[in-house]
Order: sequence, then structure tokens, then C-alpha cells
Amino acid sequence: MSTNRERFKAVINHKKPDKIPWIEIVFEETLLRWFREGLPADEVTVIGYEIGRAGTLFTNWPTFKGFGKIYDRFGCLSFFGCMLLVDVGPVPRFKQRKLRETEKHVDILTETGAIARRPKRSEFEFYAMPQFIEFPVKDKKTWEEYKKRLDPEDPRRYPKDWDTEGYIQLFETYNKGPTLLRFNGFYGFGAELMSIPRFVTAFYKDPELIHEMLEHWEYFTIETIREAVETLKGDRIDLVFWWEDLAERHGPCISPKLFRDFLLPHYKRVTGFLKKNGIDRIMVDSDGNLNPILDEFVAAGITGIWPLEVNAGMDAREIKQKYGDRLFLIGNLDKRELAKGGEAMRKEVDSKVPILKELGGYIPSADHVIHVEFSLKRFQEYSEYIKKICES
Amino acid sequence: MESIIDEFANTLGNLENGEKLNKLLMKALDTIPVAEIIEKGLRKGLEIVGNKYEGGEYFLSELLFGSDLANSIFELLKPYLKRLEADVKGVIVIGTVRGDMHDIGKNVFKMLAETSGFKVIDLGVDVDLELFIKAIQENDPDILGLSALLTTTIPEMKNVLDELTSAGIRSSIKVILGGNAVSKEFAEEIGADAAVLDAVEGIKLCNKWVGR
Repeated sequence: MSTNRERFKAVINHKKPDKIPWIEIVFEETLLRWFREGLPADEVTVIGYEIGRAGTLFTNWPTFKGFGKIYDRFGCLSFFGCMLLVDVGPVPRFKQRKLRETEKHVDILTETGAIARRPKRSEFEFYAMPQFIEFPVKDKKTWEEYKKRLDPEDPRRYPKDWDTEGYIQLFETYNKGPTLLRFNGFYGFGAELMSIPRFVTAFYKDPELIHEMLEHWEYFTIETIREAVETLKGDRIDLVFWWEDLAERHGPCISPKLFRDFLLPHYKRVTGFLKKNGIDRIMVDSDGNLNPILDEFVAAGITGIWPLEVNAGMDAREIKQKYGDRLFLIGNLDKRELAKGGEAMRKEVDSKVPILKELGGYIPSADHVIHVEFSLKRFQEYSEYIKKICES
Repeated sequence: MESIIDEFANTLGNLENGEKLNKLLMKALDTIPVAEIIEKGLRKGLEIVGNKYEGGEYFLSELLFGSDLANSIFELLKPYLKRLEADVKGVIVIGTVRGDMHDIGKNVFKMLAETSGFKVIDLGVDVDLELFIKAIQENDPDILGLSALLTTTIPEMKNVLDELTSAGIRSSIKVILGGNAVSKEFAEEIGADAAVLDAVEGIKLCNKWVGR
């Protein structure tokens, strides 16, 4: 019998496994809801023994490591069960601190250097997305300053326990799901540093700055991940999770022409580096309507897409018909329909999964994280149904 | 032969460089009244950008850059306009509802609405429903634009509509919804006048509502 990892790898390589796996990402806020609805926290809590209190207590100490057992409990795979934690953020981080406070809001300097405004009302405090009111990169001068924090040679980017033999063994023997390498794409990092409006208009207003930023991001990405990739080359890394979030409901936030003129060469060099090292399952993570830019992704060396947002017009059946084995697909089950449960949930699953199973190269999943509107009862119902369909 | 005003509109619509646009503007100012430049040059050009966006030729990058060009031209024209207020098509109050901090879509809509000739009163994000009511009572707008990205915050839109009804002002104003989480069905369900997919669709509808 195959392991879950073997099944996952088979599907993303367009082969037929004994049964197709099912994968999800459960949002933390949803878990809190489920705890309130009766999910026993101790059933899903992961405790790891490590040097206590971030190294301040020289003894092995049981340490809370999250609620990762939630995936085992429902029988679905996790993207992040075995992920190499290479730090591709700014180092050193900006020191997070409160800048000002009003009756309603608090403004915080974030670790990326942006200023985020968060509501103070308790029901929104933790999980409401903040309003970003200022971004760290505005022009060439601020970019040059920021770039100092994007040094790939900084030894703090790799885990404290990084050693080649140990990680080779871990990535060779893990079998609960895919092994993963994650980093951030050329659009995603720019929009995060400049804001979407400033970044996307800068392609027209200051193309030189965009070229410089993308050039550095390519160098930074390749050189930061180089040691990991060259250590774990071959088939030890099953999947590259390439965050971009470059589309809205209407289409990509930058036109396909801008993508070709600016991003494509850099994409090709990063995917070329990965492929040279035997890593060729490279998945872009982006919400929104990607249809107008899928040709460009394929040309760039991208081989998979997640989560295929239904509300933005993405339809995995159509993409599969058009792109066949050139793209593996994960997601596309409308989260709104799934959360309704009952007939609506079954209709959504039935209308897609059997056809896509037949077409191959598809792993069922909601079209984004399992969000807070999903009750525990409905998720239980969905999990039982989707597993039955996957196994049939 | 293409007239200066058409050339201006097409240059803006094709997102050609700002320098060419400025030269055409200066040329146009010699012979064409400013109000006509705004209506047949600036707004026509922006309409071309909007149509290309809706037609799939342009994307957010082009829509925002087009608005940016139009805004800078509009700033240049301001000194020539004796009474800007007289040219206002209508008044729109906009805001992202309580609990939701997203503002990109709202800001794109605001930018397009202003360059299309609307006066926009932007209440910002995480707006309490009382503030919407107060702004409407004080400014007597034609349209109220409510934005929300999250499925968890769109119920607040219904609360705003209920409050409009309670305050006796619902029938005097059109209500338009925008944001990733809203749909036409949802708008109908809560009694809004419309929900739109994007800012361009929103502006077209607002123009229709104010009879322009």
C-alpha cells in the first residue's frame, strides 16, 4: 500500500495512485471556533521536546508546537508537515512596536517594516486583516536601504539545527504528506514592500526601480535557498510552494505583457535553478483570476497552481482540459458551498472531483484555507464525504 | 484627421507617455474650453481605459496607471477652472464597513469616481454604521458605496441598510456594494440597489444613476 507522500507525489507527477489524497489548510481562527464547538484541544495539540523557553532553559522541555494533529484527526494531508524553514524575510526584522493608539485603532510597526492599523474591538483584534497605512519601500532610496536586510549570506536564515545529513534523512523518510520548500515570488514581495497600487503603477512610472528590485529578488532567492536545494536535491523536496497572490477577481494585478517583460526572465532563472537540481514540481499560490496569465506561468516553468478561487472564475475542469499534464491543480472546491454542508457541499464535490480524478493531476481541496464560517460539524461531514469520493 | 481632443483621449486611453499627454493638453488649452477638455478628453480617455479593462486588454496595473495619469492632468487643469463644484456630477459617500480594514478596492473606486467627475466623501475603513448615517445626513449624497472583502464582515452591510431605513433616508439614496465577498444575489437579499464586480462597473452604474 502506498504512503500519503507517495500518493501526493504520484498525482502531482500526473500518475495514478491507488487513491487520491485530500489536502487542506485549516485557519487558526477556525480551530478556535471548533474548540468552542467541542473539538478536544488535547487531541490535536503537538508537543515537542526542545531546549526550553527559546534556549534560555538548558534542559529538554515540553514545548507547544501548534495544532498540527488536526490533519491526522480528519484524515487529510497538510502542506506544512515537513517544510524546510529557510527564512526569506528581512533580517534583522523590524522591531515590532506600537506607534500610536486611538479609541478604535492601534498602529503597529510590523516585522516587514510596514505600518498596520488594527481595530481594537476584541472580536476583531486577532484575526481581522489590518489596514496597511504605510509601506517601507517608496522609491530607489528606500529600496536601497531596505535591501540591506535582504542579504542571502546571513547565517540566521537557516534553522539552528540545520545539518545536511539529518535533513537528508528527514526528507527521505517522511511519509505523511509532501515535503516542502516555500519562498516568495517576484510580484508578492514587491507588493508587500510597496503596496499593490504603488508597485503595479511603478512598472510604468519607474521601470528601472522594478528591474532593480526583481534582479535583487532573483539573486536573493536563489542564493538563500541554494544550500537547501543543493543538499536536498533529487526527489527529497516534493513541492515548491511559491507564494505570489498576484490576482484579483477580474484578473492578474499586472498584465500578462508586464509579466513577460519584467517577471518572466527572473521566474525562468529560479525555476531553472530548481530544475537543474531535480526539483520540478513548482506550485504558485495565488488567489484571484489567473486565467489570463496561465500561459505565462507555464512558460516560466511553473507546474502547479493552488487554490483556484471559484469566486474569481477559476475552473479546474477547464484548465485541465486546456493544459493537461503541463499543470497539476490543487483546490477549486468552492469554500462557500462546502461550508453550507449537506446537498450544497455534495453537489460542489460531485461536480468536480470525479471528473478531475479521471483527468488526473488533481488533488481536492477547498479554494482557500478552511475559514471560520466552516463549523466543526460541517467540516466533519465534508471530510467523510470527500474521503469516500477520493477512495472510490 | 483626428482632432486634438480625440488624440488626447486616445493617448490617455493607450497609456502613452505623460510627456505627450502634457503637450497635447497645452495645445488643447489654446483653443478648447477646459470643461470640454475634461469631458471629451480626460473622461473619454478614462472611459477607454475602463473599457479595455473590462474587455480583458488591461489589468489592474493599467487601470491604476490610467487613473494616475488622469489625476495628474486634472491637477494641472484645476487652476483653469473657476468653479470646480459646478462640474460635479454627483456626490458619493464611501467606506469599508465596520470590522473590515481593506481599502484597496475602495481606493481604486474613489480614484476613478473623482476623475469621472463625482465628489467623493471617503469615510475610510472600519466605519461604524452611525458614521455612515451622519455623513449622509450632513452631505445629502446621491450614492452610498459600501465595501467589504470578508465574508465575516459583509453582514455589517445589512446593518447599514437597516439603519438607513430606520433613519428614514433609504429611499433618498442609491446603495452600491463592492468587494470580493459580495455578489448580486447578496445585494438583492439585503435590499441594496446593486453589487459590482469591479470599480469600472461601479462607475458605469453611478453614471447611469445620476443620468450621465
